[in-house]
Amino acid sequence: MPSDIVIVGGGVAGIAAAVVAARSGCSVTLLDSGSAVGGQYYRGAKSPESGSGLSYEALRRAFDELVVARGIDRRLDTYVYSLARRDSGFVVRTRGDDRHRGDVDVLESRAVVIATGAFDKQLPFPGWTLPGVMSGGGAQALVKGSDVLPGQRIVVAGTGPFLLAVTYALISAGGNVIAVVEANDPVGLARHAWSVLPAAGKSADLAKFVTALAKKRVPYLRRHRVRRASGTGHLESVTISRVDGDWRGIAGSERIWECDALAIGYGFTAQTDLAGQVGARMRIGSDGGLAVEVDERQRTSVPALMAAGETTGIGGVDLARMEGLIAGVAAVEQCGRQAALSDAAIARGMRDVLKLRRFADALHFAFPVRDGWRDDVDDQTLVCRCEEVSASKVRGAVSDLGARDARSVKLLTRAGMGWCQGRICAPAVDALCRFDSAASLIGGSYRPVAVPVPLGAIAAES
Amino acid sequence: MSREVVFRFDGAPYPGRDGQTIAAALIDHGILSWRRTRVDDQPRGILCGIGVCFDCLITVNGEPNVRACMTGVEDGDDLRSQEGTGYAQ
Repeated sequence: MPSDIVIVGGGVAGIAAAVVAARSGCSVTLLDSGSAVGGQYYRGAKSPESGSGLSYEALRRAFDELVVARGIDRRLDTYVYSLARRDSGFVVRTRGDDRHRGDVDVLESRAVVIATGAFDKQLPFPGWTLPGVMSGGGAQALVKGSDVLPGQRIVVAGTGPFLLAVTYALISAGGNVIAVVEANDPVGLARHAWSVLPAAGKSADLAKFVTALAKKRVPYLRRHRVRRASGTGHLESVTISRVDGDWRGIAGSERIWECDALAIGYGFTAQTDLAGQVGARMRIGSDGGLAVEVDERQRTSVPALMAAGETTGIGGVDLARMEGLIAGVAAVEQCGRQAALSDAAIARGMRDVLKLRRFADALHFAFPVRDGWRDDVDDQTLVCRCEEVSASKVRGAVSDLGARDARSVKLLTRAGMGWCQGRICAPAVDALCRFDSAASLIGGSYRPVAVPVPLGAIAAES
Repeated sequence: MSREVVFRFDGAPYPGRDGQTIAAALIDHGILSWRRTRVDDQPRGILCGIGVCFDCLITVNGEPNVRACMTGVEDGDDLRSQEGTGYAQ
């Protein structure tokens, strides 16, 4: 039986869209690759008691009720590997988790909401493949999802306010964070961001993080960067140093810290694969990353395809929630129904989206990625971890073999040809080769199969 | 509190908790690596930790290339370090 609406992603955006759609009388299928809804931010936190109105807590409670009352078809541990158009609707192909990769299914729907979130952006540096070096989001997932700390002595590094959120999660669980290493200088740069904080309702979150760091006396080093990770078989120490405004290391300021875990991230990359499969128009976000273009109703350039949350540009959890609500409304209208959200609430939601988007833009302006990191990438440093392609090979593809775009580098070196399909290394390849990243990101974003699926399972599709 | 499970890693038994990922269950015991790469024979553990990068592949009950960060640990799991593609073992 086709659903009215398939929602891909059960994070805050997907939950918000599902609640609006189900309340409006649409049949809803919600798919998530995790074993619980809540996404990266809320993880599996059970239906909380607090929160009212359109807060996440209230939406999550409503979602759980609507699963029972309106029969939202909630499918966890489920991956969408392909999205295609059929007639005026969509065909959504799914598979199970890694224990059930061959359990494929084909769903149909009139409308689709993509709310697939984002993952940490990584920049290669010497030693970054050592076990113990992980993304900030990965460290957060360990502690929030499995109640396990990534190590005994943890360094959090990279850039952006997310470093504070990760640190907060780690120290709240009793973790020993020895320092937060921020490459930018937010106090100097972020006057604009701080000025929009109160408007975006973000002051409370930030105050909570900063207070917790101060209480545990976790040093917050600005204009510092992790230059190298060292160890035999696993991470044993990091070399940090001061950096200038372009992120180039300042000689003589290096220090070595013993640690067994490094949680690192330089912003985020949106998951845009499914939108790309159906040819939705993309844009370059204010962080320089790829994002799905949407209008003020969260409609993409593809009819009946909505997108919400980080997929449409990195903007944080509150923006994701509001976009999810508006996307839910648009999906309901696409199905020819009246949305169960008042016109006033919709108008307020759209205003909130604009406000929060401005806040996100200000943060991206305050926490940019500067070029100096490239100087640290020595010849041996791997750029593509999947195919084990070193920086010297990537650079050589340009200097010796004449590659002029990321696709040529990929064909010449295999960088981006592995399991992750270039999701991790693509920004680094572009930067190291000095390619026009906008053209390269859009050109390289087409992934016809979003997650590996056994050929036999595809062949057996009747 | 979640139920205790027992899994094996490279033959030795370890306790874990139901609801933990395989990666978390291993890291909880100080095991940071469970794969060696197929070109340079280097150790790897988790990187992205949320299912995107495929660095944390492990062999589970004879099935290689399972993402440790996305797969819940189950009672009786036989986890093996993965060498290369995992198919030559």
